[in-house]
Amino acid sequence: MKTLRAIIADDEELARRILREYLSGEADIDIVEECPNGFEAVKAVNDLKPDLLFLDIQMPKLDGFEVLELIDSSVAVVFVTAYDQYAMRAFDAAAVDYLLKPFTAERFRASLDRVRTRFASAAPPAALPRDLKLASRAPGEYLERLVVKDGPRVHVIAASKLDFAEAQDDYVSLRSEGKTWLKQQTISGLESALDPRRFIRVHRGYLVNMERIARVEPNTKDTWLAILRDGTRIPMSRAGYSRFRELAGTV
Amino acid sequence: MHPLFKHWRRFLLYLAAWIELGFILGLVAPASGNVGRLEAIAIMVPMMLLLGFVCLAPYYVCRSIPLRAVAWRSLLQHHLVGTVLAAAGVILVGKLLASALSSVWPGLDQLFAHATPVLTVFVALTFMLSTALHYAYLEIESSRRAESLAREAQLKALKAQINPHFLFNSLNSISALTSLDPARAREMCIGLADFLRASLRLGERDTVPFSEELALTNMYLGVEQARFGKRLRLVRDIDPACNTCEIPALLIQPLVENAVKHGIAMMAEGGEIVISGRRDRDQVRFSVANPFDPEAPVQDRNGIGLRNVRARLEARYGSAAKMQIDATERHYQVTLTFPNKTL
Repeated sequence: MKTLRAIIADDEELARRILREYLSGEADIDIVEECPNGFEAVKAVNDLKPDLLFLDIQMPKLDGFEVLELIDSSVAVVFVTAYDQYAMRAFDAAAVDYLLKPFTAERFRASLDRVRTRFASAAPPAALPRDLKLASRAPGEYLERLVVKDGPRVHVIAASKLDFAEAQDDYVSLRSEGKTWLKQQTISGLESALDPRRFIRVHRGYLVNMERIARVEPNTKDTWLAILRDGTRIPMSRAGYSRFRELAGTV
Repeated sequence: MHPLFKHWRRFLLYLAAWIELGFILGLVAPASGNVGRLEAIAIMVPMMLLLGFVCLAPYYVCRSIPLRAVAWRSLLQHHLVGTVLAAAGVILVGKLLASALSSVWPGLDQLFAHATPVLTVFVALTFMLSTALHYAYLEIESSRRAESLAREAQLKALKAQINPHFLFNSLNSISALTSLDPARAREMCIGLADFLRASLRLGERDTVPFSEELALTNMYLGVEQARFGKRLRLVRDIDPACNTCEIPALLIQPLVENAVKHGIAMMAEGGEIVISGRRDRDQVRFSVANPFDPEAPVQDRNGIGLRNVRARLEARYGSAAKMQIDATERHYQVTLTFPNKTL
C-alpha cells in the first residue's frame, strides 16, 4: 500500500502529541510536518504537498476553514476540533471526517479507514470548486474577512476594508486600501459569501461595498455610474441600479 | 423614563389620585378660613395636578445620586435645593392662578396669600415624601436586579465550564497526557475538578473574600496553563491587603477567561497576562491586561462576559464602582474600581 504523507495543524502541543501517538502505530502514514497556526499550515501544505491534513478549526492567524480555502483541494482533510457546531460546514467543504476532541483510538482508526478508502478508489478525488468551499456557511452568517494568496504568503482583507470586487475570468480582483489582490473565485461565489446588506452587485462584473458609494449618476439611457469616495467610477446596470435603490431605501 | 409612564393606565390612576386630593383639600379649606368651596377647588385641583407631575422628578434625581454612592451631607443639600425649587414653583403657579381667578371671585388673591405658608409646608413635605418613596422604590428595584444578575452569572459560569472551548480541549489535553505523562494527567484532572467544584460553590454566594475569587481564578489558569504551556505567561502583581476585601463572586475569573480566549489562544507565540490588584483607604482597583492579535480570525465574540461583569458591578455599587476598558492596537486592559469593604 502507498504511504500517505500527513501534516498536523493544531495550536496546542498536547493536541498534536495525541495525534502523533495514535499515528505511531500506523505503518502506512508518515507525519511530514506539524504546524502550530494557520499561516504555517498553508505554507507547509503548499510546499510539501501532503496527502492528508489533520486540521484544527480555532487557531491563531487563520482558522481551519480559511486554511482549507487556500490549499489544493486534492488534500484529504480530517477536521479535529472541540466544536460540534461546524460539522455540517466541514462536510459541505468535503472534509473526509470530523473528529470531536477528545476522541478514542478506535474512533481515530475509523477515520483513517475513511481516508484509506478515499485513496484506494481508482479515480482521484474530484477537485472541489472553490465556490462550494466558500458557500459552506450557516445561513445568515457571512464572511468578515477574505484570505488571498500573495505568492508564498497569505494576505487577509477585512470585509469592511474591501472597496469593490471586479470579475476577471476565473478570478476576482479585490480592491482594498489602494491595492489590488487576485483571488481564484467567481464573483457570484464571492457575492453569496458576503453580507448582502453591505455588498451590492451593481453590475454583472462588479460587487461594491455599499459604504464606499459617494453618489450615483446617470450615464447612458439605461445605465448609471456609481462614484466611489476615492473617485473610482463603477458601471451600474439597470438591475444593479434597482438593487441599489432598494438597499439604499432600507438603510 | 419614569416607570409610571410605561403603563398609561397606571399613570392616569396616579393623576386621578392627585385630582381627588385637590378636591378634598378644596372641600376642607373653608373650615380654616372664609373661602368658598368652589374657589378653593378651582385652585387646589390644578395645583395638586401640577404637584403630581412635580413629584415624579425625584425619580431622576434619586437615580443620579444613589444613596450609598454620595456622602449624606451632599445628598441632603441636593434634595433641599430640589424641595425649595419644587415648592416655590408650585406655589408660584397657585398664586398666578389665584390672581387670575380674582376677577371672578374678588379678594381670592389675598386669601391665597394668607394660606401660602401652610400650602408651602404641605407641598414641601409631599415632595420630600415622594423623594423618600422613590429611594425605596429604586432600592427594591436594584436588589431585584442584582439578584437576577447574580443568578445569570452563576448560570453563565456553569455554562462556561461545559463550553467546548475550555472543557473539551482540557479533556483532550488530559487524554494526551495519560500516555505521555500519567502524573501530569492526574494533576490536570484534579485541577479541573477543583475549578469546577469551586466555581459551583462560589456561584451560590453573593460576595466572597477577594482571596477566594483569586484562588478560583488561579485554578482556572492552572488548567489553561497545562493546555497552552509556554504560550500562556502570567504576571501577578497583587497587593496582599486585597485578600480580605469584599468582591461579588465570579467577577474576576470571567475577565481572565476573556484574556485567554481572545488574547493568548489567538496568538501563535502566546503572550503575557498581567493581573494586578491595589487596595487603598477608599477603594479597590483590579485589572487584567493582555496582548492580542488584531488580525486574528473572527471568533464568536459575544461580549456577554464583560457586559455581565459591568452590570453586576453597577447593580451592587451603583456609580461608586466602574469598569474601564483600555484597548490599543495590540493591547487590551480591563480595570475594575469598587468601594473598599472588608468581608
